Amino acid sequence: MKRQIPLIIIITLGFMFVAHSFIPHKISTDFFDWYQDWVKAVSPFAVSLGIMSLFMVHGTKIKRKISNWQYSVITLAGLVFTAFAGFMWGTQSGTPYMWLFENVQMPMSATMFALLAFYIASAAYKAFRARSAEATVLLIAAIIVMLGQVPLGAMISKWIPESSTWILNVPNLAAKRAIMIGVGLGMTATSLKILLGIERTYLGGGD
Amino acid sequence: MNKNVIKLFDKMQNIDRRYIYIVVALSIIIPLLIPFNSRTYVTKPTEDIYKKIDSFAGDETKAILMSFTHDASTMPELFPMEVSVLRHCFERNIKVFTICWLPAAAPLVDYALNTAKEDFDVQSGVDYCNFGYKPYVLRLPIMLGMGDDIAKAVETDSQGRKIENLEIMKNIKNYDDMNLVIDFAASSSALQWITYARARFGANIAAGVTAVMVADNYPYLQTGQLMGMFRGLKGAAEYEKLVDVFAAYESKDYPNGRPFSKEIIKETRVPITGDTVPYKYKKARIGMNAQSIAHIMIIFFILLGNIGYFITRKKEL
Repeated sequence: MKRQIPLIIIITLGFMFVAHSFIPHKISTDFFDWYQDWVKAVSPFAVSLGIMSLFMVHGTKIKRKISNWQYSVITLAGLVFTAFAGFMWGTQSGTPYMWLFENVQMPMSATMFALLAFYIASAAYKAFRARSAEATVLLIAAIIVMLGQVPLGAMISKWIPESSTWILNVPNLAAKRAIMIGVGLGMTATSLKILLGIERTYLGGGD
Repeated sequence: MNKNVIKLFDKMQNIDRRYIYIVVALSIIIPLLIPFNSRTYVTKPTEDIYKKIDSFAGDETKAILMSFTHDASTMPELFPMEVSVLRHCFERNIKVFTICWLPAAAPLVDYALNTAKEDFDVQSGVDYCNFGYKPYVLRLPIMLGMGDDIAKAVETDSQGRKIENLEIMKNIKNYDDMNLVIDFAASSSALQWITYARARFGANIAAGVTAVMVADNYPYLQTGQLMGMFRGLKGAAEYEKLVDVFAAYESKDYPNGRPFSKEIIKETRVPITGDTVPYKYKKARIGMNAQSIAHIMIIFFILLGNIGYFITRKKEL
């Protein structure tokens, strides 16, 4: 029963959603409205669960003084203070919440993402070598696309942005599309297997 | 080859990466601090979005939706796009809705709206409406629900007001009216809009993505499932220029912006030095200067690394 009931729920609802996509009947629309209401009611619990989980994980770290526990204090303090600022003074422009966003979260997040540029430059210098014919093609394509992306490329020659667009539009597209078709077929096959009850590994166990 | 040259390249093969970091940092920081004028070439995917949005100018029965699916980390690339689109809408009296799916994106939407609206006489609930943060799990039901009735699917805006009571909702019911959705993301999340809003309801979908995600979205652009795409910071810079040249253009003949023309865009250069254009509306173009230099530096490093590689390999042989 522990496996059969979830299986029945998944198969029944799965087929109902497939039917909803193809049959625009009132029953189908009503079913979808009912589903929407339930999702809206259930989703806030996921937030509560997330907050509880965060407190439990970091609370344990602080309690047991596990290495780098000080970061957990900052995480929890950040969570509590940001939430407090939002509830207390709102989230509009000029409030402490917005100040935190503009002066703490925004620059810190952007800084983390910007680190990529340094790693790319270093990796390009140390590892991007024309060791084989394939690597040479990749290297030339990368240089053309990089030049085509900036105004300087067009200033050097009109041919550079055009070649860059061609690389993105033809070889890149062919490879992407092949991967996508493969993934799409795989997803369809897996979905069908789940709907028909053949694929059950998500329930736990391997049969 | 001269022994000293070989020795130099040998040494450079094992250069401390911190020197590379310093060069990259300087090549980004200096152009940001000292802006210079460079030409912005407008490409078709950006041009198509501009023309589509502009076709809604002054039309009470049409609106666009801006979907924010990213957090602050990708703001340097995506934020200038968002501000430019908002500026375009406010300049040309186009109804605009905003929605976000990540808690971290909620203040970002407010920040974008506050940045753009301070130069215009626009009102929330009348000229624009922020649907606010909706949990990601609701993305699919809301996306599908908006195909039938936006007010029913979204229910309330960020200020808790009932959507159906807002003046902006007059003549706006579903995707037939809110006929353009632009998804700003650092992923391929526009695919969901294509699958559900476009395939099922025929909505026009466009994407604003970070440069690294451009290649992933190209298949949809080529098939027309994406009617346009902002391709990283370059796309943002292109749109900034389009808004400067057309939507924000004022003259006796065109008091509220002028219509798009390929000839004008080819001929016009908008200087980014000086105070002609406010800083917030030329951020992407200043950023493109830094990107240009950074790309050149990276290409230089690749070439230098390869020259060193071949010289040292020859020596080993």
